[in-house]
Amino acid sequence: MLASLKTGLKKTRDSLIDKYDMLFTDAVKDKNLFLEKIEELLILSDIGPRTTEEILTRFQAINIHQYKMNDFNYFKKYLKQILIELIPATDDAFIINPEILNIVMVVGVNGTGKTSFAGKLAYYFKDGALDTLLVPADTFRAGAIEQLTYLAKQIDVEVMRTSAGSEPASVVFDSIHSAKAKKKKLLIIDTAGRLHTYSNLMKELEKVKRVIKKNAPEAALNIILVIDATTGQNGLAQAISFKESLNISSITLTKLDGTSKGGIVFTIQKDLLIPVSFLTYGEKITDLCRYDTEKFIEILLN
Amino acid sequence: MLDILSEKFQSIFSKIREKGKISESDIKQSLREIKLALLEADVHYKVVKDFIVKLEEKVNQEVLSKTLTPGQQIIKITHGILTEILGEKQIKININEKIPTTILLIGLQGSGKTTTAVKLALTLKNNGHIPLLVAADRIRPAAIEQLSILGGEAGIDVFTGNINKSAIDTILEAEQWAKKYKYNVTIIDSAGRLHIDQELIQELKKIKNSIQVHETLLVLDALMGQDALRVANDFNNEVGVDGFILTKLDGDARGGVALSLRSRTNLPIKFAGVGEKITDLEPFYPDRISSRILGMGDTLTLIEKIEASYARNELQNMGGKVFREQFNLNDFYEQLKKIKKMGSLENIFNLMPFQFSSSLKNIKQDFGDEEKGLKRVEAIICSMTKQERLDPDIINGSRRRRIARGSGTTVNEVNRLLNQFFKMKKFLKQRTGLDSLVPFMRK
Repeated sequence: MLASLKTGLKKTRDSLIDKYDMLFTDAVKDKNLFLEKIEELLILSDIGPRTTEEILTRFQAINIHQYKMNDFNYFKKYLKQILIELIPATDDAFIINPEILNIVMVVGVNGTGKTSFAGKLAYYFKDGALDTLLVPADTFRAGAIEQLTYLAKQIDVEVMRTSAGSEPASVVFDSIHSAKAKKKKLLIIDTAGRLHTYSNLMKELEKVKRVIKKNAPEAALNIILVIDATTGQNGLAQAISFKESLNISSITLTKLDGTSKGGIVFTIQKDLLIPVSFLTYGEKITDLCRYDTEKFIEILLN
Repeated sequence: MLDILSEKFQSIFSKIREKGKISESDIKQSLREIKLALLEADVHYKVVKDFIVKLEEKVNQEVLSKTLTPGQQIIKITHGILTEILGEKQIKININEKIPTTILLIGLQGSGKTTTAVKLALTLKNNGHIPLLVAADRIRPAAIEQLSILGGEAGIDVFTGNINKSAIDTILEAEQWAKKYKYNVTIIDSAGRLHIDQELIQELKKIKNSIQVHETLLVLDALMGQDALRVANDFNNEVGVDGFILTKLDGDARGGVALSLRSRTNLPIKFAGVGEKITDLEPFYPDRISSRILGMGDTLTLIEKIEASYARNELQNMGGKVFREQFNLNDFYEQLKKIKKMGSLENIFNLMPFQFSSSLKNIKQDFGDEEKGLKRVEAIICSMTKQERLDPDIINGSRRRRIARGSGTTVNEVNRLLNQFFKMKKFLKQRTGLDSLVPFMRK
């Protein structure tokens, strides 16, 4: 899994690896220049200016002059260490219990890759022999139901029949009862993309959650906010709103196969204590892995 | 809410204005705040650095004008440079009236190409053109269906061709079709692709080599971070781009990407996507985005209004921690009254940095018509005991009933008011939330 993530990332990053080492070699002579380079590295990863300042303050504490120029490995490790320490311990990012019905609700703003993620997730758990039902509850975007249905067919997972324009909450209601009747173990609900600033659309999601809670109180519910790696500082506002409305259980970071790093997700973890559950990194159905802090920080810094 | 806003201004220039003359460290501090604001708005790191250098130069030259306070002046200069970079006029799409025009939409996955294609076609149709949409996204499942459905809704013809054919073959067929049936604009919806995906970039090159494309528009999403500029440059270098369409501007993203694009690519931003409906496409107005990037709303006007309603020490008080933590219903009522004094609520909302306006609009929604609404709020608060106003947590069900009776309102209305109050209190307390919303609020 890690290997395929790495190759997915490698093609884009080859040129950057040298740059990273160079930065430390050149800059170690001059502390200000050195800190500026780190600032640039962090800002460009979309970690945000406030988190960057926080990290730089910690870096100020060390005396770089006492190390030789070829000690850049030390600084790299040090920076990595600072970043790891800043990520707080949180609850488990993703809970699944094969004994009972598990429900995953996928939410997020438009175009982050929710539908693709839903398909990938279903495929990911296929090996675990979890009998799965995919639910296209994005009844708003034209073609969304068809998109998920294609994906489901491709991976041979059952998909709930839905018609465009129907009420998402009622689609979910039907699918819960269908899942129970068929003794399904995993229900993955793909919802319509929405900007977090539309309170009526957020209320629609809250209603879906209420329907789940009411009709499947015994199920293990994961609400996953999908944020894509190209997202900038607005990601924090997204996470705040979705957390407030739905008390999301985790974040999935998508599109890591590009040149963006998704640093805002670092800041979200740090400030809002929301864990990250999955990373995705390509168009293939297998391009998904569980989140791992070290791996993520490696991505951020490379 | 106003106090948060004022704290923002305070941090920029309250110290400065007390002196009347600005010191070097004051300027430094202001520049730092502006740098942070730009970075919070996702303006590219290098663009921010250049911007600050330019701003510093100008500030050092100009800051001695007597009409404005120094702080206001810095903000004004900042706006000036922003507008200069963003450009003042709005640039239209090139459509030759005599020969059929072909527009190619390209971009990353999920940037909103398909929706934008339909919106653009509808805009052109409303301007008297006869557009044809071409479904050339052969990768994403159901992309063709999406375009067909949306095209149908907009009353625009969609060329799908045989779904087993390649994107290029489809486009070539569509060109013939357009000629034969006298469409005068062809809009090609291409598949989303990474700027570094060589195979798919080659496909775009091939498209541009096999037909005459008059406009290649890169669709970029306003929520994007630092990578946006690189994406734009890569697409431009590889394929050639004539302009941009910035989507998802209806959210609260500050749209710093617009500044990065304008300062580093010299290409125009032609349209802005501002909603989920097929009519939600607007020409891009550079001057409107500059306030948004700074997260300031129409700051200068708002400053004047605030100055007229608040004494300086009052503002300083409100920015403090004590005020935020002990915020009670008396304060709440005072704030509403002050805002009222500054003009109609609607106007104030429009002047506010938009991050605030959404939370304020809730208040308006809940209280309805502002004159009457405010009177009802007043009645409710006046029907409370002194203790209740200072410590609203004690207001239980029976107290709520009493207050409703006393004020001639309903328990429902009392509940709504208290909800709004607690929300605002929570908002004030939450440093994290606040920080993310208020880029200037740093000490």
